[in-house]
Amino acid sequence: MPTPNDQMPKQPSAISHQPSAIGHLPSAVRLPRLLPPALIESLVTILIGLVAGGLLMLPFGYNPLKAYQALFQGAFGSSTDIMETLAFATPLMLTAITFAVGVRAGLFNIGAEGQMYLGAVGAAFIAGALRLPPGLHGAAATVFAMLCGALWSVVPALLKVWRGVHEVISTIMFNWIAFNLSIYLAIYYLAEPGRAERTRPALETARYPILTEGTTLTAVILVAIAFCVAVYLYLWGTRAGYELRLVGENPEAARYAGVRAGNALLLSFLIGGLAAGLAGASQIIGRPPAWSLYATLGNVVTLGFDGLGVALVGRNHPIGGVFAAILFGALAHGGRYMEYHAGVISELVRAINGLIVLTLAVPEIWAMARRRLRR
Amino acid sequence: MNTKPSIEMRAIHKIYPDGTVALRGVDFHLHPGEIVGLLGENGAGKTTLMKILSGLLRPTRGEIHVNGQPMHFRNPSDALQSGIGMVHQAFALVPPYTGLQNILLGQEAAGPLSLLQLEAAQKKVTALVGETGLMVPLDVPIELLPIGVQQRVEIVKTLYRGTSILILDEPTSALTPLEIPELFQFLKRLKESGKSIVFITHKLKEVLEISDRIVVLRNGEVMGEIPTAQATPEKLAEMMVGRAVVPRVGRAAKPVGDPVLTVHNLQVMSDTGTLAVKALSFEVRAGEIFGVAGVEGNGQSELVQALTGLRPLKSGEVALDHTGLEHPNPIEFYQQGICHIPEDKARFGLALNFDVAENSILSRQWEPDFLSGLDRLNWDNILAFARQLVDRFNVVTPGIRTVVRSLSGGNQQKLLVGRELSKQPRLVIAVHPTRGLDIASTVYIRELLVKMRDEGKGVLLISADLDEILELGDRIAVMYEGTFIGMGKADELSREEIGLMMGGIAPKGRTYANAQ
Repeated sequence: MPTPNDQMPKQPSAISHQPSAIGHLPSAVRLPRLLPPALIESLVTILIGLVAGGLLMLPFGYNPLKAYQALFQGAFGSSTDIMETLAFATPLMLTAITFAVGVRAGLFNIGAEGQMYLGAVGAAFIAGALRLPPGLHGAAATVFAMLCGALWSVVPALLKVWRGVHEVISTIMFNWIAFNLSIYLAIYYLAEPGRAERTRPALETARYPILTEGTTLTAVILVAIAFCVAVYLYLWGTRAGYELRLVGENPEAARYAGVRAGNALLLSFLIGGLAAGLAGASQIIGRPPAWSLYATLGNVVTLGFDGLGVALVGRNHPIGGVFAAILFGALAHGGRYMEYHAGVISELVRAINGLIVLTLAVPEIWAMARRRLRR
Repeated sequence: MNTKPSIEMRAIHKIYPDGTVALRGVDFHLHPGEIVGLLGENGAGKTTLMKILSGLLRPTRGEIHVNGQPMHFRNPSDALQSGIGMVHQAFALVPPYTGLQNILLGQEAAGPLSLLQLEAAQKKVTALVGETGLMVPLDVPIELLPIGVQQRVEIVKTLYRGTSILILDEPTSALTPLEIPELFQFLKRLKESGKSIVFITHKLKEVLEISDRIVVLRNGEVMGEIPTAQATPEKLAEMMVGRAVVPRVGRAAKPVGDPVLTVHNLQVMSDTGTLAVKALSFEVRAGEIFGVAGVEGNGQSELVQALTGLRPLKSGEVALDHTGLEHPNPIEFYQQGICHIPEDKARFGLALNFDVAENSILSRQWEPDFLSGLDRLNWDNILAFARQLVDRFNVVTPGIRTVVRSLSGGNQQKLLVGRELSKQPRLVIAVHPTRGLDIASTVYIRELLVKMRDEGKGVLLISADLDEILELGDRIAVMYEGTFIGMGKADELSREEIGLMMGGIAPKGRTYANAQ
């Protein structure tokens, strides 16, 4: 699209500081502007996603209304369920940060998966092998895990800054290295004596307290939300955050403004690594009943990649990601109920969830594609 | 004109989805073999009207008739089928592709599996180029060509698709003064061959020179239609802006001060590894506007980038108030009191998806005024500053948290210029500062530059608009192939002399040595 001088104003997007794609959703245009356009857009896409999922159920003879009722009740029906939903959401809002902060700097950083593994290994090491006083122990495990995640992002970051190696390639490779390295470390150095299938469980002193007995939600969610808020404040409230977003938005204007793009990219990788490391820690010292890393990495695997979808649904915004993560948590936790109570087979539950996520991600994918094309 | 109109647009309304009314019942017609000047300020609706005619936008109401048949264009290909093609201000070219590849894009071959007929196509394009006199390099990637040449590729591309109605959106804004007569000649030749041309512009002189008939739009309505033979600049300007526009900028008669910027033996490389600036020496003094004229692509961009820290110097010295500058970081230059109005605001000077407040500190984000402890942004100060910029420089915007992309080009530029001039610089470097702007914004920005000069600052003005250089410059240099082919005081140089120099002919006795 050419952008001549007398182009007419488009709707400003309140949350994400991005051009809104609302012009492409005629149904949303008529709504009064009580809500930010981006939010209206997300609500409309949720509706479309649910309808699409419902259509998918029909040929298999399921009743979509009953299934969704089960889904909703499963996710939010009782306070226990809400807690469970939030427990599922915790790591996702963090791995979403990794991707979102990358996008804000113009990167396509999909290294959250590997950085998250390393964070989990780091947390398992401090929490299971060291003896420290309560409080300090948990803090040390958390910080160390975050540093492990950040460290794992340094090599792709430097390859990008120094040699121009595309981050998609390098982070995929580093995800695989992390996968095998983590399994190796878990089995050979951190395994629980006599039980090689998992690492030594985190000592009591290192564990985050469970918020409500009978659920798996721990205080680590507060740390996660605080981290998301901190990233938001950093990106929109500091010079470095401004410069990082400027590099992502318009690299040439950033150069004109005297920004060293390399520093901004490195920063983006590091913030992403810290977030992913924290996500890994949250599953070791903040998620019963395991309190440890399975040697197969079974209790953490795909959390990093899921964050990518969460980030897209959350419009690559740290706070949007929190809400998107809760939605993902609801689908994950409530999806089980759809299986038990509405009898929907699990494969279809996953297909429906996937469909909803896909629909939700469309507006942001569209916006990102347009930004890329415009360059 | 006795022939029946080939195009008739009736009662065209356009309301954008957000409620902005762009056109309020516009009637427009076009005869075969005529050039119609579509005149109006930015935001008048000229581009919207022509985007509707070329199928890019759909009218909210109204009809389009082509040769008497009602048409509903769903997209630009539909319009192209009716022989209507538009050359936009922002070009639709693929940067890494060559001129030839861009011209052929979408027309390469008969089917998805047929082979590229490059040789035959090249012959056809070469013939077209020869016929029209629009010289374009066919085997150089577009991204390496200056904007003026890119535009020529766009025009050839549109003609290659067999258009009989050519719409040009501000075609001269990217051209150098020497290229404009060339373009006009070629437009006249096209007209004689029976093609019709719509020429969107806000430049009175050009529309008077080239068109047969002039349609003036203001605020989405036709304000008047007049055969060019009966039009005068005053009349058109009044129709266009609703008041008399005085294009001359008055200035204080003051003696110039000491050199603010001294450039000695500067050499700068281009992206392609050639020497773009060759052993250039000059100075800009306090209280003068030093205008650099010249055909675009003669090293002006590289010179400016070297003077603003965006490109390393190959050799030579740059000194501000006799303090040498070497660091390749722009902030170093800003701290030394240089401000820079860059040549392409959307590319360098603004982040279009950032809001007005965020853009008001772009390139100033390091200044202590906008920061508080721990390098946090001081939003109170930033918002206050943005509000002040918007007020002081007449930036029309719904608010300071509005995304800059949604402002008109003139308002974007006023925001940028305001931001730069409010840095309290010692040296202002302004590159094409009024390109693509309407008359009111142009006059305003030129007045600001003169005000900076009157306040004793040095102004280095680089512009492809010769009128601008002649109107503003105290001293004028003409850049040709990386060096100043001539330099002199504004009142000593005639338009013709400058024109010659831009073409590479140095007049005797006016070498740049005696102009220092």
